[in-house]
Amino acid sequence: MKNFTVKKLPSLERLWEFIDSHFIFVAILPAVIIFLLFTIYPAIELVLMSGSSITFENAELIREPALEKNIVKFLDDWIFRKALVNTLIFVLLSTSIEMLFGFGLALAVNELVRGRGIVRTTMLLPILIPPVAIGSIWRLMYNSEFGVINAFLELFGIPAQQFLGSTSTALLSVVVVDIWHWTPLVFLILLAGLEALPEEVMEASSIDGATYNQKLRFIIIPLMWPALIVAFMFRSIVAFKVFDQIFLLTSGGPGTSTEVISLYVYKVFFQQNQLGYGALLALITIGIICSYLAVFAIAQRKFTGAK
Amino acid sequence: MKKLNKFLKGMAVSAIALTSVNSAFAADPITILINNSPWYGGFEALVEKYEAETGNKVNIDRTPYSGVLEKVRNSVRGDTSPYDLVNLDNGWIIEFYSGGFLTPLTNIDPDFKLSDEIIDNGEAIYWNSEKQWPTKEGGKLMAFSPNGNAHMWYYRSDLIDTPPATYKDILKNCAANHNPPNTYGAVLRGERGNPIRFSFMPHMLTHGGSILKDPKNGDFTITFNSPENLKALNMFLKIHNECSADNPGAIGQGEMIQLVLSGKAAQAGIVIAAQAQMDNPEKSAVVGKINYAQMPYLEGGSPHGVFGSWQMAVPNNISDGRKTAALEFIKYFISEKAQTLYAEAGGIPIHTGVLRGPLATQEKFRWMKPYAAVAENATQVLMYKEGAEVEQIIGLRLNQALIGELTASEALNVAAKEIYNVLAAAGRDTKLGNSLMIK
Repeated sequence: MKNFTVKKLPSLERLWEFIDSHFIFVAILPAVIIFLLFTIYPAIELVLMSGSSITFENAELIREPALEKNIVKFLDDWIFRKALVNTLIFVLLSTSIEMLFGFGLALAVNELVRGRGIVRTTMLLPILIPPVAIGSIWRLMYNSEFGVINAFLELFGIPAQQFLGSTSTALLSVVVVDIWHWTPLVFLILLAGLEALPEEVMEASSIDGATYNQKLRFIIIPLMWPALIVAFMFRSIVAFKVFDQIFLLTSGGPGTSTEVISLYVYKVFFQQNQLGYGALLALITIGIICSYLAVFAIAQRKFTGAK
Repeated sequence: MKKLNKFLKGMAVSAIALTSVNSAFAADPITILINNSPWYGGFEALVEKYEAETGNKVNIDRTPYSGVLEKVRNSVRGDTSPYDLVNLDNGWIIEFYSGGFLTPLTNIDPDFKLSDEIIDNGEAIYWNSEKQWPTKEGGKLMAFSPNGNAHMWYYRSDLIDTPPATYKDILKNCAANHNPPNTYGAVLRGERGNPIRFSFMPHMLTHGGSILKDPKNGDFTITFNSPENLKALNMFLKIHNECSADNPGAIGQGEMIQLVLSGKAAQAGIVIAAQAQMDNPEKSAVVGKINYAQMPYLEGGSPHGVFGSWQMAVPNNISDGRKTAALEFIKYFISEKAQTLYAEAGGIPIHTGVLRGPLATQEKFRWMKPYAAVAENATQVLMYKEGAEVEQIIGLRLNQALIGELTASEALNVAAKEIYNVLAAAGRDTKLGNSLMIK
């Protein structure tokens, strides 16, 4: 009777050794494949579309090169430039005020001995409301005829204001809605940061006789810096993409006073059915957001000395 | 035994008869994509009646307006459409007609024909593929309409005795009733985009204006900045500024209807679809107080209606059985009997026999006769591929004129140049007309 021993085939052995020695890469391979499929491929498709003119004939998609045509159109597109300016104003105003209010609220709530949980839960409500409902609620509240805000102002003899109907107040009115909607998120991020601050440092500063302002300036803010940056970055990116609120409240009007990039890209892509040019605008929008983030990261490094 | 034989024979005959009836009338179940609207209740009621009378099954996907277009695009561009009938706003039809996504109804049944009493929405339900234009002349029947939805002039009959006809009447009524913020003399849509563009069209046409010279026959010469359009725009702005609410540039359809329903507007230019709400005591403070007239016109002139119509069509990418079933529904829908039921349930009939028939004499249906007069003569604009882009241009520039960012002539001139750029880039036979640079 012969004895048989199970031996690994040389090629399988080599494969096994390869996997073993490159385990980290092999482990992330599925994620990389999914990333490539769902991110890189659409991005490549977007780039290809942006240089094309896309139409349909006999239920067939017809794609023709039109990069130059699309670029000329972009250079002549004053509405996009206006939308970009409005978006930047929207981002800077809403994010800054949300940071200020959110941090202020987080500091105040952090001092509470009781009821912190209730406050935290209550503050969550605006984030939980669907954007469509927010648009409808605020549109009604801003209404010059039936709105509760104007009814309140009238109690003090102030005439009805055209919050969404005037070019001078429409963008600010939309910013107010955004602040109401998103300040709680900033608050929650920063409250979590405050709660995680080392107690020993705070106690030591109290023993040293530091006032609250001194603690805030020299201890809390420097220690909270990473949380502040995360909150600011997160809100900036989301604010750059603002769409639903403005779509529901003003549709970009009156005139172009509340036209923002996402809304304009939507109009070009979906309402005007200009798929190629819409793709170019989408690509440029991605570029602008990436540039903003890069500038922010560089400024942050310079400011904090972080590497 | 004889009795048993007789019974069995009877059963056999009944079974054969039932089978043959089913094979003659039973159609495949169909699914309809339709927008949510004030007239939806009428459509739903008619579908229920159709199911009860024929035994055919109809599923309805009722979708908010803003979601309909993408649902249609996705369904007709895919391998098989989940919908057998899709409802299309008139601003969208060219994309689907010219893209070859829809089946001409006469391809399903070569003998199918609409009676002369069916409103054809200014021929928007036909498509001449050679000419690339929606016209009955050389065109194929592509759709039917569940609502022509032309503009009407709504007015408060308790405040205004005589039906307003001309601009002189409108302004007189405005002066007599304008008492802001309690009552506004006349309200029009002024919101940027489709609302103000659509709202302006009847005024433009009645002043003899146009956007392009003769696009139907290939002449895309720009006429939007003509002296006629300047007069029309000045009148349009006058009504807005002297008769409307303080924020005319932000008034959309919802706000305008709300102002009428709450009794704050003495007159308004609204599509007929809104009439269903006027006598609804749950929604309206002016039950029985709203009457209807054609859109205003110049002294010595005539009114011009413009459709904001809906067209319902059969996608290409469904089976022949489903296409036939869809056509069965269409045949039922356009019959005079069904159209009467449709009107009674809150729909807007497209059968002139119903609009001018016995129903029209009832108080509840007092809107029918004036609507019939409008719908029989109303027209379509922007019926070309670049229409959506042109609409955005006009909708922005008119809104800027309304909110004071541009003068009327600046708005028309700038829009004319921009329309020219769009059409020239698309290779149309276009030029800036002689009337350019009106002052």
